[in-house]
Amino acid sequence: MSDDLERRLRQALRPVSPGEEFSVRMQERVALASRPPAPGSNSTPRRVAASWWLSAGLAASLLLALGVRHRAGEAQERLAGLAARQQVFVALRVTNQKLDLACRTVLSESRDQP
Amino acid sequence: MSADEQFAQARAGNAAALVALIREHQRAIYSIALRMLGTREGAEDLTQEVFMQLGAKIGSIASKEHLRFWLRQVTANRAIDQLRHDARFQMLPLCEESPLFRESEHADPLLQKHLHALLAELSAPARAVLLLRYQEDLDPGDIARALEMPINTVKSHLKRSLEALRNRCGLTTT
Repeated sequence: MSDDLERRLRQALRPVSPGEEFSVRMQERVALASRPPAPGSNSTPRRVAASWWLSAGLAASLLLALGVRHRAGEAQERLAGLAARQQVFVALRVTNQKLDLACRTVLSESRDQP
Repeated sequence: MSADEQFAQARAGNAAALVALIREHQRAIYSIALRMLGTREGAEDLTQEVFMQLGAKIGSIASKEHLRFWLRQVTANRAIDQLRHDARFQMLPLCEESPLFRESEHADPLLQKHLHALLAELSAPARAVLLLRYQEDLDPGDIARALEMPINTVKSHLKRSLEALRNRCGLTTT
């Protein structure tokens, strides 16, 4: 009895067809997805080369920017040094003039004293 | 072209050979998907997903036997996952014009009706066990391997499903 039921069950569960339209649609989709890329399309080696050049370009730009920034910093420091030296010269000149004036005043006062 | 050559060519990336392999297995895969999920739309989507995955993985499939097992395993497990995560598929539709079974001169409409009701009641793993055993003729050991469950669980699912069907059909236990 059990064997008969199992036999009938197998018969009832025989596969059904999805229909020709679905089969064609699905097979076209799978065939399209598995097709290798056409020459000249975005193939993998081209994409790898493009990404390599992009990375190299970015790295070069970064180095250039760092170099320019470094050079600009050096020039700014040199200008600041020159300005400071100028200020020291001015201060020395002023001091010299003041001392000169004081010296002359002292001398004239000592000359005028009886 | 022999079946072995066809399989080798499909593995090597020949789209026509792959399509021929799909044509060979699509009825079985579609039928597992349909009887697991209960709707044509769900079955068509799942069948397409499985064959798209095959297109991507064919290189790692060792033989025609491996391919047959792999397709049934992937389909059953994907259907179980879908049934677990998507409430729409929890129950099979119980409409009379359900396309779950084949119209043929040997068809037993009463058994089909009971079987449909039984499939609707079974849990997703029990449904998969019944289909892999009686639709695909896999032995319990292969079903256990495909669904990653102990063989005794497979056997008890089969026993309970047969008992339930027997009761529905009004047959006495032997």
